[in-house]
Amino acid sequence: MKFKTYLDLYQLLEVDNSTKAQRRAFGLSHVLLKNKPLEQLMAWVKENKQKLKTPLLSDIFTSYLYGISFTLIIVGFVVGFFSGVTLLNYNGHAPVNVIYFMAMVIVLPLLTMTLTLFSMIKAHQSRSVLIHLSPSYWMEKIVALLPRKIQENLENLKLNPLLANWIVIKRSQSIALFFSLGLLVSLLLMVATKDIAFAWSTTLHISPEAFHSFLNTLAFPWRSWFPSAVPSLELIEQSQYFRLGDGLSEKMISHASKLGEWWKFLAFATLFYAIILRFFMLLLATLGWQIAVKKSLFSLEGVSMLLRDMNEPIISTHAQEEELTDTTSKEGVLQTINTLDASYDVAQGWAMSEEQLHVLNDAMGVITPLVYDVGGTNSLEEDAEIIHKSHGEVLLYVKAWEPPTMDYLEVLVKQVDRVIIVPVGTEEQGYKADEKMIQIWIKKLAQIESNKVWLKKRSSGKKAAKETDHAES
Amino acid sequence: MPSRRQTYPKFAVVGHPNKGKSSIVSALALDDTVKISDVPGTTTKQRSFPLSVDGKILYELLDTPGFQRARQVLAWLEKHDVSADKRHEVVQAFINTHKDDAKFNDEIELLTPIMEGAGIIYVVDGSKPYGEEYEAEMEILRWTGQPSMALINHIDESDYSQEWKRALGQYFKMVRTFNPMATDVSQHISILESMAQLKEEWIAPVKQSIKLFEAYHEQMLRQSAEAIAKLVSESLSDVETLTLGDAEAQDVDKKALKEKYKEKLRFLENKTQKQIEKIWNHAHMEKEQALLTFDGIDLFSEEAASVFGLTRKELLITGATSGAVAGAGVDLLLLGHTLFIGGAIGAVVGGVGAYLGFNELSEVKVLGQKLGKRYLQIGPMENRNFPYILLGRAIFHAYHIATRSHALRDVEELSMDNIFKDKWLNEDLRKSLEKYHKMFRSGDEVNVEYMEGYRDLIAGVLEKLIV
Ligand SMILES: Nc1nc2c(ncn2[C@@H]2O[C@H](COP(=O)(O)OP(=O)(O)OP(=O)(O)O)[C@@H](O)[C@H]2O)c(=O)[nH]1
Ligand SMILES: [Mg+2]
Repeated sequence: MKFKTYLDLYQLLEVDNSTKAQRRAFGLSHVLLKNKPLEQLMAWVKENKQKLKTPLLSDIFTSYLYGISFTLIIVGFVVGFFSGVTLLNYNGHAPVNVIYFMAMVIVLPLLTMTLTLFSMIKAHQSRSVLIHLSPSYWMEKIVALLPRKIQENLENLKLNPLLANWIVIKRSQSIALFFSLGLLVSLLLMVATKDIAFAWSTTLHISPEAFHSFLNTLAFPWRSWFPSAVPSLELIEQSQYFRLGDGLSEKMISHASKLGEWWKFLAFATLFYAIILRFFMLLLATLGWQIAVKKSLFSLEGVSMLLRDMNEPIISTHAQEEELTDTTSKEGVLQTINTLDASYDVAQGWAMSEEQLHVLNDAMGVITPLVYDVGGTNSLEEDAEIIHKSHGEVLLYVKAWEPPTMDYLEVLVKQVDRVIIVPVGTEEQGYKADEKMIQIWIKKLAQIESNKVWLKKRSSGKKAAKETDHAES
Repeated sequence: MPSRRQTYPKFAVVGHPNKGKSSIVSALALDDTVKISDVPGTTTKQRSFPLSVDGKILYELLDTPGFQRARQVLAWLEKHDVSADKRHEVVQAFINTHKDDAKFNDEIELLTPIMEGAGIIYVVDGSKPYGEEYEAEMEILRWTGQPSMALINHIDESDYSQEWKRALGQYFKMVRTFNPMATDVSQHISILESMAQLKEEWIAPVKQSIKLFEAYHEQMLRQSAEAIAKLVSESLSDVETLTLGDAEAQDVDKKALKEKYKEKLRFLENKTQKQIEKIWNHAHMEKEQALLTFDGIDLFSEEAASVFGLTRKELLITGATSGAVAGAGVDLLLLGHTLFIGGAIGAVVGGVGAYLGFNELSEVKVLGQKLGKRYLQIGPMENRNFPYILLGRAIFHAYHIATRSHALRDVEELSMDNIFKDKWLNEDLRKSLEKYHKMFRSGDEVNVEYMEGYRDLIAGVLEKLIV
C-alpha cells in the first residue's frame, strides 16, 4: 500500500462522477477482490487513474517530500559528522572526554527515541499536549517550505493529522539515523587519522568501580562477543582525568598508548544505541506509516461510499423511465348552479334504482314526470333507448364518489337541451355530497367543454344563482 | 415471444378510476414519482415498476389507467360469445381490433399486460358503497382468464368492506385489505406473499423478492445510520475560522463567526436530511421544499434543546458535563498552533453563558499568525448537549422518512413530541454514545472502526423504531 495510491485515490474521488451502477459493475467484474476492500480500492485507482490530469498530485507531493527528506538526510549526516569531529577534537593537550560523546550517542538517542515512541502512540491525536514535539507541527514547517501552489493543494487535501504525524515521525527517524552514521564515520575517521587520548571526567563523585560497572551494563549487547570493546576497570582508572591537575597526570601519560582503547567502546555504543536501535525505530515508524496510510485510505471522504457502491447489490423497485407528463390537460370552464328549479323534464340516476330516484327527487324538492335508472347493470341498448326517450332539461343524479364515466354523458348531451348533474352522497350521509367530491366532478366535467352540461354545486342554496366556474384540470 | 418475457411474474394493478391504484403501486414500489391526484383519469399509460437486483428483474408491478368504458367493452365481448376456454381469445381479439381506437385507450392499456400474462390486482375503495356498475369491469377481468386478487383500499373513514367482500368474493379467489398511505414492511411483505399465491410458478420468485426487499430495507437503514453518524462526527469536530487582518477582534467579528458556525451546522443537518430522503426514495418530490418540517424549530433553539436534548440531570449521569471546565484550561496551556492541529494561541475570549439551557456551543478563540494573519476560530463543539439534540432530530427525521408512504404527496408538518426521546434513548445507550461524542469533540482522527461502532448504535436505534 503506497502513499501515492492514497493521494491518487484522494484526487480521483474529488473528480470522480461515476454512477452507482458503474461502481457496482466494477465490483461485479472484479469478483476475486470481493471482501478485500484494500485491493478493490487499489484496483479501482489503477483502472481510473488515467482520468486524472498530469502531473498527478501524488507525483508532485511525493517528489517534493523525497526532495526535502533527502536534503534533510544529507544535512543530518553532515551535522552528525561535524558534531563528531568537534567532540573528538584532540589538540594534544587536554584528552577527549568520552562523557560528551557518550551523551551524544547513548543519552540523546535514548531520549529522542522515547519521545518518538510517545508521539507514535499519540499519532492519531490532532492536539498534542506538548505541541512543539508534535510531528505535525513540524510537518507544517516543512510544508511552508514547499512552493505556494503545492501548499494550496495540500490545504485542500486536509492531510489527515494521522498521516502528517507519521510522515514526520518516519522522516525524523531516517534523519536521526544518518546523523548517527555521521557520528560513527567521524569517530572512525578521527581514530584512523589521529591518535586520540580519551579520558573521562565528571564533577560527580563516581568511583572508577561504579563507572566500570555502569559501562559494563551499557555494553550488555556486545560485551560477550567483543570483550575488548568494554573498557576494563584498569583502563577506567587510568583514564580518569581531573581538571585541577592542570594538564595531564603522569599516570595518564605513562599509559598514553592504552587510552586510545576507548574508541572500540564508543564505536560499539554508537553502532548499537544510535544506529541499530534507531534502525529499529525506523522500521517501526515505517510499519506505523504503512498502517496509517491504510487507515487513512479508508477514512478518506467518499471511500466508504465507493466501497459500498461496489459491494452492495443495486436493488431497485421504482419505475425505470419517467412518467410522461400529460399534455392534453387543459383548463376548462364549467357552468354550475347552486339551487335546483322546481321541476325538470326527466330525472335519471346513474346506477341507482328507480326507488332511490323518487327518494332523491323528494329530498331535492323537484318534480319530474319521467324517472329512469341508467348505467349499472343496464345493457347499452337499454340505455340507448332511455336516451332516445329523453328530451328538454335532464336531471342526472350521480354517485358523488364514483368518478364520472364519460361515454354515457357524451351521448346524452347530443339528445337533450341541458343536463344538470347532481352528485349525491350516500344514504348514510343523507344524500349530501362531500365538497371534495364535488370539486373532483367540477374538474372532470370542465374537460368536456359543453355548454349543455351544468353541475349542481351546493346541496342547499338560497337563491338560484347561475354562475360560471373556472376549473383547472 | 411470450415465453421469453414470462421469466418473471408481472402484476397489473387495475380498477375503477380514482380508487388508489397509483397510490398502491407507489407504496409497493417505494416510488414517489408516480402521478397521484384526485382527478379521475390521472394515469393514462401503463407504467412498469420492476423489482430488480443488479439489473436482474424479479417481478414487475404495473400501474394502469382505470376502466372508462367497461360496459361497452363487455358488450363487445358478449357479442362474440364463445365457450369459457376461448374467452381470453375474444379479449385478445378486442385488443387487436381496437388498438388504435382512442376511445378505448384506457381499456387497451390495462388489458394488454394482462393478456401478456400479468396477474390481476383489482383495486376498489372500501370506504364507498359497492355498486353494480363494477360488475362489468370484474366480468371483463374474468374473461381474461388470468389469476387475480382484489385489494380493498380505504380512501375515507367510512367502511363498506363487508358488502365489498361479498361482491368481490364472487369474482376473486383472494380479497385483501391494503392501506397505501400507511404502509410498513410487514404489510408490504404480506401483500407480496398473497401475490405469490396467485400462481404456483410465482411462489419461488416472489419469495426471493421478499428476501430481497428485506435486504433492501436493511440497506436503507444502514445507509441512513451511516449518514447520521457522519453528520454528528462532522458537526462536532467542525472548526470555523474568520480572518481578522490587523485589527483587534471586535464583538461583531465574534458574532459573525458564531453565526457562520451555526450556519455550517444547519447546512450539515440539512444536507443529511436530503441524503436520507434520497436513500428512502423520497427525494423526487418537492425538491426545493423540505419534505418534513420541524415545525419551524431551529437547531439552536431552546425548543429543540428541550425536546431533543438531555436534561441537566441526564447530562450529569452520562458524565458529559464533567471536564467541560478542564477542557478550557487545557486550551489555555496549549500555546501553539499549527495548520493541521488547530491548536490555540492566544486567549479564550468566549464567555460561558446560558445557552441551549446549558453552556455555549463553543468558545471563540483568537488565533495567532497563520501566513501572517490573525484569525478567530470556533469549534470543535464544546456544548455537551448539542450532540443529543442533533442526533435526536436526525433520528426523528429518519424515522418519519423511513415510515412515510411513497403515495403521500403533501408536505408533512412534524409535530414535536417530548416523549420521542424516551422511545429511543436510555441511560445505557446514552453512555455508549457519549464515548463517541467525546471522541468527535476532540477533533482527533476517528478511525473507520470507530465510526462503524457509532453507526451500528444508530442503526440499532433506527431498527427498533422502524421495524
Ligand atoms: N386518505 C387516503 N387517500 C387515498 C388512499 N388511496 C388513494 N387516495 C387518494 O385518492 C386519490 C386517487 O388516487 P390515485 O392513486 O391517483 O388513484 P388511481 O386509481 O390511480 O386513479 P387514476 O389513475 O385516475 O385511475 C388521490 O387523491 C389519493 O391521494 C388512501 O388509502 N387513503
Ligand atoms: Mg393512477
